[in-house]
Amino acid sequence: MPPEAPEDLAPHEAAQWARRAGLPLEGDRLDAVTVTANHIQAVVATLRELDFGDVPPASAHAVGPEVRDAAV
Amino acid sequence: MRPYELTLAAAAAAIRAGELSPVELTDSVLERAEAVEDGLHAFVTVRADEARAAATRAAHEIAADGLRGPLHGIPMGLKDLIDVKGQPTTASSAVRVDHIADADSTVATRLADAGAVLLGKTHTHEFAYGLTTPQTRNAWDAERVAGGSSGGSAVAVAAGAATFALGTDTGGSIRVPAALNGVVGLKPTYDLVPRHGVTSLSWSLDHIGPVTRTVEDAALVLDALTGSDLPGQSHLLHHDGDLTGLRVGVPRNYYFDRVTPDVESAVRTAIDRLRDLGAELVDVEIPLTRYVQAVQWGVMVPEATSYHERTLRATPELYAPDVRVLLEAGELLLAGDYLRAQRARTLMRRAWARMLDAVDVVAAPTVPLTAAPTGQQSVEWADGSVESVSDSYVRLSAPANITGVPALTVPVGQDRAGLPIGMQLIGHPLGERTVLRVGRAYEETRADAGRLAPGAGTVGAPTPPTAPGSPAPAPTVEART
Repeated sequence: MPPEAPEDLAPHEAAQWARRAGLPLEGDRLDAVTVTANHIQAVVATLRELDFGDVPPASAHAVGPEVRDAAV
Repeated sequence: MRPYELTLAAAAAAIRAGELSPVELTDSVLERAEAVEDGLHAFVTVRADEARAAATRAAHEIAADGLRGPLHGIPMGLKDLIDVKGQPTTASSAVRVDHIADADSTVATRLADAGAVLLGKTHTHEFAYGLTTPQTRNAWDAERVAGGSSGGSAVAVAAGAATFALGTDTGGSIRVPAALNGVVGLKPTYDLVPRHGVTSLSWSLDHIGPVTRTVEDAALVLDALTGSDLPGQSHLLHHDGDLTGLRVGVPRNYYFDRVTPDVESAVRTAIDRLRDLGAELVDVEIPLTRYVQAVQWGVMVPEATSYHERTLRATPELYAPDVRVLLEAGELLLAGDYLRAQRARTLMRRAWARMLDAVDVVAAPTVPLTAAPTGQQSVEWADGSVESVSDSYVRLSAPANITGVPALTVPVGQDRAGLPIGMQLIGHPLGERTVLRVGRAYEETRADAGRLAPGAGTVGAPTPPTAPGSPAPAPTVEART
């Protein structure tokens, strides 16, 4: 079952998440950051549609032809 | 022709022939920079005295020991994310106000070894996190955006204020401003050009490459950056412009969707010219396009926030508002989102490799629209959809960052407002020679290859030539601010 679509964060939740990340957000920052974070989340949430199976994350250095045999 | 008007290859030939000295060339380019800089703001700093001293040294070296190579004595600019020992790397940001680089970046070392003359540092959108470079003005029309984030480099080259420059490209930041200013920009294969000593935006998407007036010049700079400047190793092998046997992929989807009619028309005409040179045109289906923006953001946003972790906490008020809010919002993205983006990236690389099996290069627009007026926030497309200007500019260039394949932008004409249009040539991993060969073959068919921006630093685009009996179609893109 694919992950459910994420719910938008409310400003007070964004403040809580930011504190957990060690970044206190002042009151005047909260609204703009919350809107931006929710917009980014809406874009990246599209990836929840994909079934990745055993696909690994891309390596930053694996641009050339992929070598699948570890013994090569 | 005045020395600043020479392309890199032409200037190098004149120096080799003893017809031009590096001092004359550097003086001419510095005078040009001084004349246009007030209108363009391409540079963070111009170090005229140091550049003249370096040019004098190059002249003495050439007289005593001969020419090291085509870059010896050629004046250039570096995007101000690139470390040069003893100089600030400002990233066009107040955050870096006290910064001094304690060592050269690898690319600065290689260009110095090749004998290039550093004129100064060029503006970037702050920390490369944006597509417009708001400090800098478009070289063709000062009321339009330069594009970004390597806006200063592209504008300096387009205006003749640097014979070449380096930029960085995380989602299109070399190719976008190069296309919008009518010059050539190359994003090489990931890690072909070392990133050491270059301020990162997103380390797994960042690339460093040349911004030049011609494809030939881009190959010369790439040779110096990769240590391929020995006989027989060049990225631009001698050829006669015949593309017989070469397969050019023409996208059926994505790259011509939501593109202005002028851009589509110019790029399709250029592709037809490749066919006339002997290339076989092959329809290709671009894979997984629905996920391009999600992968780009899912990788870039957390990597950028991670890079800025300490300064975002120490001096957040010193960031520009548009960059600060993105860095802060990046703190709220989950690790699962980053992993999903990197796993989707694996799928995308595999699917692109399969698609590229059928062709040697893919030819497509670099950006969907030409340079937007400063302050325009969004575009409305013919299908009724609305897209931010920045999202539009990154849309067609991001796939090459995600997949790491080389991508070159080449000027292919102007739109009805007289603004330049770029065609993107995308190749196989480490396929720079093929991409440059196709680009060079195309540019050799154009009488205006290597031209400078007309009236650089002035307001209002040049009047485009009008073809008799061909009224311009109604605009489909409008500004929404």
